[in-house]
Amino acid sequence: MKCPPYAVSMRIADDERTKFRMWFPVFILWPLLLVFVLLTLIATLFADLFTLISGRKPGYTRFLLGVVGVAGETRGTEVFIQDRSNNGRIVAFTVR
Amino acid sequence: MGDDRSRILELLATGKITAEEAGRLLDALETNPQASPEAGSLGDFADKALATASAPKFLYVKVVSVKGDNVNVKIPLSLVRAGLKLTSFIPQPAMEQINKNMAEKGMSFDFLNFKPEDLEELVSSLREMEVNVDANNGDTVRVYAA
Repeated sequence: MKCPPYAVSMRIADDERTKFRMWFPVFILWPLLLVFVLLTLIATLFADLFTLISGRKPGYTRFLLGVVGVAGETRGTEVFIQDRSNNGRIVAFTVR
Repeated sequence: MGDDRSRILELLATGKITAEEAGRLLDALETNPQASPEAGSLGDFADKALATASAPKFLYVKVVSVKGDNVNVKIPLSLVRAGLKLTSFIPQPAMEQINKNMAEKGMSFDFLNFKPEDLEELVSSLREMEVNVDANNGDTVRVYAA
């Protein structure tokens, strides 16, 4: 499992002139995310325990880990859109 | 073993694997007893690692229009892989409904019997896939994995 994205950058420009540029250091949110995941993990473990007791197949914890995994796999996503009919608007989005 | 070494170096030269991955593969080739000259092939680990390394890593969607509009999208295939793995958590009745709806649209795809091996096979076979659309007005759309 990869670690979650550490930065997200976004650029919106008209006619190649940057109007809005944002570089957001997502790693700042990692401690908060860790706390959230740990709290949710406790809840899912209990939910799985009760599901197991009731005789059904548990899957909440695996689902949570899967979601964290998907978040990690978003690293490397790049989207670039250039719209000439709209003042040459460029929208670029990158997850690192 | 010489062939395996050449294959690894070829993959490195063509940029399909990084120097670090090539180093790991060469180490695996030297340390794995199955990769002896008598065995004549890569060991399990190296074989799997080589298959993973040569598998496509990104899905690209490129749209170029004559008016100058461009769209470039690069999606990690590992995201597709991880997303598809999550389908195993969809409840069975909902999955049956998905299968039914997809079959109605002409895609007989049984998600209930979707195994991780199938997923790997699907992702690795994406290397062979390439969609090229050339419209009359000159617009082009390319979808490929690399």
